[in-house]
Amino acid sequence: MKEGSKKMADSEILHVGIDLGTSRSAISASNGERFVVDSFVGWPVDMVAKKVLKRSVMIGHEAVSNRTMLDLHRPLERGLLKEGSDKDVEAVKELLRHLLRLVGVDGNGNGRIPTSNVRAVVGVPAAALRTNKQYLRNTMKGIVDSLMIVSEPFAVAYGLDALLHTMIIDIGAGTTDFCVMKGRYPTEEDQRTLTSAGDSIDTHLLKLISERYPQANITIFMVREWKEKHSFVNKAPEKVVVTAPVNGVPTEFDITNEMKAACETLLGPTVETMLDLLSRVEPEFQERVRNNIILSGGGGLIRGLPEALQDALKQVGGGKVTYMADPVFVGSDGGLALAIDAPDTDWEKLSA
Amino acid sequence: MRMGKIDRAKRRVLRQAVADNLETIRGLPPRGVRPNVRRSRLWMRRLSIVALPVMLAGSTFLLSKPVTEPMFVVQRGAPHKPLAAAAQPQPQTLTTYEKVDPAALPLNVHRVVIDAGHGGTDPGTALPTLAEKAVTLDIAMRLKKLLERGGFEVITTRTDDHLIPLRERAHIANVSSSDIFISIHVNSIVEHTSEHGVETYYLGPTRDAKLTKLAAEENRESGYSLADMRKLLDGIYMDARRDESQRLASAIQSQLYGGLRNADPGLQNWGVKRAPFLVLVATEMPAILAEVGCMSNDAEVEKMHQPEYRERIANALFDGIRTYATEKK
Repeated sequence: MKEGSKKMADSEILHVGIDLGTSRSAISASNGERFVVDSFVGWPVDMVAKKVLKRSVMIGHEAVSNRTMLDLHRPLERGLLKEGSDKDVEAVKELLRHLLRLVGVDGNGNGRIPTSNVRAVVGVPAAALRTNKQYLRNTMKGIVDSLMIVSEPFAVAYGLDALLHTMIIDIGAGTTDFCVMKGRYPTEEDQRTLTSAGDSIDTHLLKLISERYPQANITIFMVREWKEKHSFVNKAPEKVVVTAPVNGVPTEFDITNEMKAACETLLGPTVETMLDLLSRVEPEFQERVRNNIILSGGGGLIRGLPEALQDALKQVGGGKVTYMADPVFVGSDGGLALAIDAPDTDWEKLSA
Repeated sequence: MRMGKIDRAKRRVLRQAVADNLETIRGLPPRGVRPNVRRSRLWMRRLSIVALPVMLAGSTFLLSKPVTEPMFVVQRGAPHKPLAAAAQPQPQTLTTYEKVDPAALPLNVHRVVIDAGHGGTDPGTALPTLAEKAVTLDIAMRLKKLLERGGFEVITTRTDDHLIPLRERAHIANVSSSDIFISIHVNSIVEHTSEHGVETYYLGPTRDAKLTKLAAEENRESGYSLADMRKLLDGIYMDARRDESQRLASAIQSQLYGGLRNADPGLQNWGVKRAPFLVLVATEMPAILAEVGCMSNDAEVEKMHQPEYRERIANALFDGIRTYATEKK
């Protein structure tokens, strides 16, 4: 997906914000370019596959579409780099290089923006450990010149100028991140990360559908697609009918109840964590935070979720949940805003 | 006016974000965690210098008085209530103390937490005729009796079939200021049903994928969020408890294998291992997790049904604790 474009001089520094997501990764650059790709990387499994695909590596949707011929990797797990697998490290490097290529960066120059001119801010889950961040820094050596790693919900808050008395709930694929902004860089106490997120809905939904329709031949990829089209909590906006093969014959299945049950697994932990974080806000500011809750990330697309969270807020005096209509670039745009605002002196170069 | 405020706020958070990154680059621990721990330890050390003579004088005074109430808060019935009460500041008088059994005094290990794995809606390994939660509770209760008879004080994290989140188990252990923590579990290795053995874990990182999977299984129902995990895991590598936990694990594994192999010649010694079980991460005293058998093995399941075999396991655990406590004298 390509957004607007604006040229910049080669000698200029290119600032980028990257939302490195378990399911999708987005990049926003100071030259006006914005892209989002599926966080999948695949290499042809053998010479035949390489000959058919005519590529040595495939990234994003293209990789998912050709997965039968690829050694497919999803290098991020719960928003963090998978450790211990060289292939996953290589996959995340490919993914980052690909994102940067899309916004006009080329490691070898070749008349485009050289790596040495790139300053990046990358968002990671709120609960990422120092060791996770170190690991990411090491992985990004040689890919960008300077790097700043921040918590993803903080990047969202920064991009939205929502730095005071605001709660960000960022529901991604791997994690749901919560962050209360108190006019300072969030501390551990201001943030929470849950692993109940998009992926856990997919797994649950696959299990429920398989139990009800054991004859249906379905994959996690199909389930993910159905969820992205039809997810909801509480009252069903319409019947959810999908098509899947049974012994090779396309067959329709009503999965309304399964969709509702799977999506609502997110509701309990999200409400509980939201209320818990609210209760830790100083009493005089609680009402302001309650009325400034921002839902971002793909999970926010679940129909009925903002209303359900607002209903839950009634037990503590009511509140307002605002949903970002275009959640795809909220994190990367926030990262870009941080990158642009950070003074030159604050950037630490990544040693090659 | 509002813009001005936002700009100032932005400048401030930006500076803090940069500082946080610099700390990451320099490998410093997260702010607000490590320094506080250090401060609290320093404070404890200072307090102990002042408090020790007072405590010694107090205990001499107490031992010379005919008093009737328990000296330590020993848990009876539901574990969390008295402990929660103990955590509250309570007005204390001499009449709330009882003379301690002198047999326990020479030991450096006085108070033992026994944690029966799983419980309530979390059965652990569940077979048609037997659930892990029932086995661990039975062994825990037997071990409790043995320890109390041996002069130890015992805290149990659960005494009935209720799910206690791992977070609360650790809390129970920590507020009771216990000396060691013993978590009892039973293995299930469905890939190798013909094999069975015993193994004992202490806290530490592992690269073994199987152990990571096992830890993930045992860490379910933890009650911890990932934010808590960050705090907990940051402590793994630096924790001074690890050496003591390793010694405790060695003593228990040795007695467990030695005490059970006569009754079960096919039993394998799978040794002392490191793994990041949450309950071991969050406890503040030397802590181990013992997998006292293997419920994926039919022959062993049959044995687990026998009260005599479960008593034997409890005895082996007791011997391990006593060996460790004696070495500590």
